[in-house]
Amino acid sequence: MPVVGAFCVTVHKDACINAQVPGKCATCVEVCPYEVYAIDGNGQVAVQNYNACVGCRICAEFCPENAIRINPAESEHLTRYPWTLGQVEEIHHKALTGEYLLRGFGTMGPLPHFDQILVVPSQLAAEPPKDKYREECEMEVVIGEDTCEKPIRLKYPVIFPAMSFGALSREAKLALAIAAAKMGIAGNTGEGGLVEEEPYYCHGYVDKEETQKKWEPGGYLVVQWSTGRWGVSADFVRAGDAVEIKIGQGAKPGMGGHLLGAKVTEEIAAVRGIPVGSDALSPCRYYDVLSFEDLKKQVAFLRDITNYEKPIWIKLGPSRPYDDVRLAAEAGVDAISLDGIAGGTGASPDLVTQGAGIPTIACIPPAVRALKDLGLHRKVKLFALGGIRNGLDAVKALAMGADGVGFGTAAEIAMGCRACMACHKGNCPYGITSQKPELRARLDPEEAGQRLANFIKATVEEIKILTMLSGHSDIKDLSEEDLRAVDPNTAAITGLKLIGYERRMPWWENEHGN
Amino acid sequence: MSRVLDAKGKDLRAVSTQLKEMIAVGGGGVTLKNAAHLHGLCGGLKSGEITIEGNSGDYLGVLNDGALIRVTGDAGKYVADNMTRGTVLVDGDTDYGAGQYCYGGTVVVRGSAGDFTATMNKGATILIGKDVGDEVGTYMLAGDLVIVGNAGHNLGNYLIRGNIYVGGQWASLGHNIKEEPLTEADVDKLQGYLAEYAIKADPRAFRKLTPLSEKPFYK
Repeated sequence: MPVVGAFCVTVHKDACINAQVPGKCATCVEVCPYEVYAIDGNGQVAVQNYNACVGCRICAEFCPENAIRINPAESEHLTRYPWTLGQVEEIHHKALTGEYLLRGFGTMGPLPHFDQILVVPSQLAAEPPKDKYREECEMEVVIGEDTCEKPIRLKYPVIFPAMSFGALSREAKLALAIAAAKMGIAGNTGEGGLVEEEPYYCHGYVDKEETQKKWEPGGYLVVQWSTGRWGVSADFVRAGDAVEIKIGQGAKPGMGGHLLGAKVTEEIAAVRGIPVGSDALSPCRYYDVLSFEDLKKQVAFLRDITNYEKPIWIKLGPSRPYDDVRLAAEAGVDAISLDGIAGGTGASPDLVTQGAGIPTIACIPPAVRALKDLGLHRKVKLFALGGIRNGLDAVKALAMGADGVGFGTAAEIAMGCRACMACHKGNCPYGITSQKPELRARLDPEEAGQRLANFIKATVEEIKILTMLSGHSDIKDLSEEDLRAVDPNTAAITGLKLIGYERRMPWWENEHGN
Repeated sequence: MSRVLDAKGKDLRAVSTQLKEMIAVGGGGVTLKNAAHLHGLCGGLKSGEITIEGNSGDYLGVLNDGALIRVTGDAGKYVADNMTRGTVLVDGDTDYGAGQYCYGGTVVVRGSAGDFTATMNKGATILIGKDVGDEVGTYMLAGDLVIVGNAGHNLGNYLIRGNIYVGGQWASLGHNIKEEPLTEADVDKLQGYLAEYAIKADPRAFRKLTPLSEKPFYK
C-alpha cells in the first residue's frame, strides 16, 4: 500500500549544486508535484516534507548531479508482518479521516502470476526450433473475419486496452494512438469519450480527412460503450473500427467509476458532454441492460448502427471466467477482452484492487474452455489483459489459448511512468495521468508514441523468439504443451503440466482432460 | 402520402437497410408496420420521419441523431436510449427506462412510463403524459423531465443537474433533491412543452424539483 512516510529522501550535499552555491539550482523543487522540497529566502533547498513523497523518482531523474536517492522506508512484506508499515498507515488513515484508502495503479503483492510458468523449448520430441533470423513467424490476428464487412487485422497479437481520457492526459492518449498507428495494432478510447485526433491518429493520419499519412502502417481504434456513456453518440460509435461494450475491469470489477466534479475541467466536460464541475459517475452496471436478452439486443443494435461493418467487442472483469466468457460469446460478440486482477486503474479503493478478482493466469484456461465448448475458440478472439509486462508473459497467455494480449500499465510505463501508484492524485509528474497543464507539458505525444512503439516492437520480437524456439512459426500453434507450471499451486489452478511430474494435476485429467 | 414498409417476418438488418435506403431517397415519411418484434429499430438515424404503426420493440430510436420517430401504440423498454438529437413520440405507454443516457432531443410519451425513466439524462427534454414508476430521473445530469401525472418512489434519486417538474403526486423523493418554487420562466417553458405536444394540463399546477448539490459525491 502506498503510505505516508514510505520513502526516505536523501540529498547528497557533496554532489548537490545548490548545497555548494545556493540559488544556482532548484530542479528538484521545480519538478516535484508533491512539494517534498522547499526553497528558502536564501535560495537553499531543503527536504521539507518526507511524508508527501510517493516514490515517483522524478527528482532523482532530473537532478543534474545525480545527488538524490529515494529509498523505501521499510520493507513492505518482511517487517512486523502482518502489521507492516502499510497496514499500520492504512488504519491510521482510516482512523484520522473516516474514509477508506483510494489509490491508482494495480494490484501488488504475491498473487499467482505468469512468473510461476515456464516456456518449454523444443528439442527432439517436438517440432524442431525455427530460425528467428531467416524464417517467418505468423502473428496477425483478425477480428470479425466472418461476421463483419470491415474486420480488424492486427499486425501483432497486441492491443492497448481501454484507458479513458480523464484518467489519462490528452498527450498520453495521443501517444497511444500514434504507437497504435506505428505498430498496426489497436488503441482504445476508454469510457471518457473521444479525443478529437484519436481516430485519424490511430489510422496513421495527421488530418481529419485522412489524406496525409504520417505513421505507417496505420492501426485501429476501438471505441468504448460503457455504463456512463460519456460523450457517446451515433457519430462516436461510428468513429471507431470496433465497439467495445465494457462490463468490467480487472482493478475494480463490479464497480463503476467516479470522476470527481473538481476534475471535470472544461476540456473533459466538452468531451464527456456534461457541465463543467459536476460529478461524472459511471454506474457499476448498465441501466439499459437488465438481462442477458438485453445484452444480445445491444450487440445487435450496435452492429446495425455500424452498418454491420465493424466488430463488436466485450470487456470483462475477472469474476467467473467460464460462465462470463460463455455468455459474452453467446451474446454474439467478435472479441472478448478478459482482464485479470492485476489490471490497472486510475483510482480505486485499495482493498478492491488488492482483494476482488481472479488472477490473470487463472482466468485464461476457463475462458478458453468456454469458447472451446461453444466451438468458438479462435473464432471469437480472446484477449488476455492484466499484469502482462513483456513478451514472455504474452507468450504464456497466448499458449494458454488467448489470441492476443493487452499492454495497459506496461504502456504507461513505456511512456515514462515509474509506478509510484498515485495516479488518483492527478499529480502525475510525467504528465501521463494528470490534467494539469504544467505537468502535461512534460509529455510529448510524438516522443512518447515512439517510446511506446519501441516497446511494442521489442515485445513482439520477444514473442517471436519464444514462439520459434518452441518449434512454431505461427502464434496460433502455441499450446498448453509449450508451458509448464513451476509449482503445484500453479499447476492446480491453470491445468498446465507440472515440471518434473510432466503431467497435469489429476483433477484436470479427469474433468477436462484433452 | 407516406410510404409503407412492412416488417413482418423480416429481421433487423433487412428492415434497417431498407429503411435507410428509403430515407436516403427522400420523399416524405415512412410508415413501418408489424415491427413489434424488432429491437433497436431506427438506431443512429440522422434524418427521416418514421411512423411505427402499432407497438414497437425495445431500444427504439437508440442513438437517434436527428430523426423524428412516432409510435402509434406502446413502446418497449429503453425508448430513445442515448439519443443525441431528434424526437421520439410514443402515443401509448412505455416500459422500463425511457429516455436513458440521452444527450439531447425530445422524448414524449403520451401515456405512462415505467421505472428508471430518464436515468442519466444528460440534456434531453422528456415529457410523460401520465404517470411514471420508481427511481425516475436517477443520476440526471442535465435537461428537463416533465411528469404530468404521478411519480413512484425515489423520484430524482441523486439528481446532479437538471429539473424535474411533476403535475401530480410522488410517493417519495430520492437523495440530493429539493422542491423549489415555480418561476414564471418555468411556467412559460412548461406551457410551451404542453402546447407543442397538445397535452392538457395546467402549467401552474406543476411542482419543480432541483438538486441540492451539483457535486453530491464530492467531499
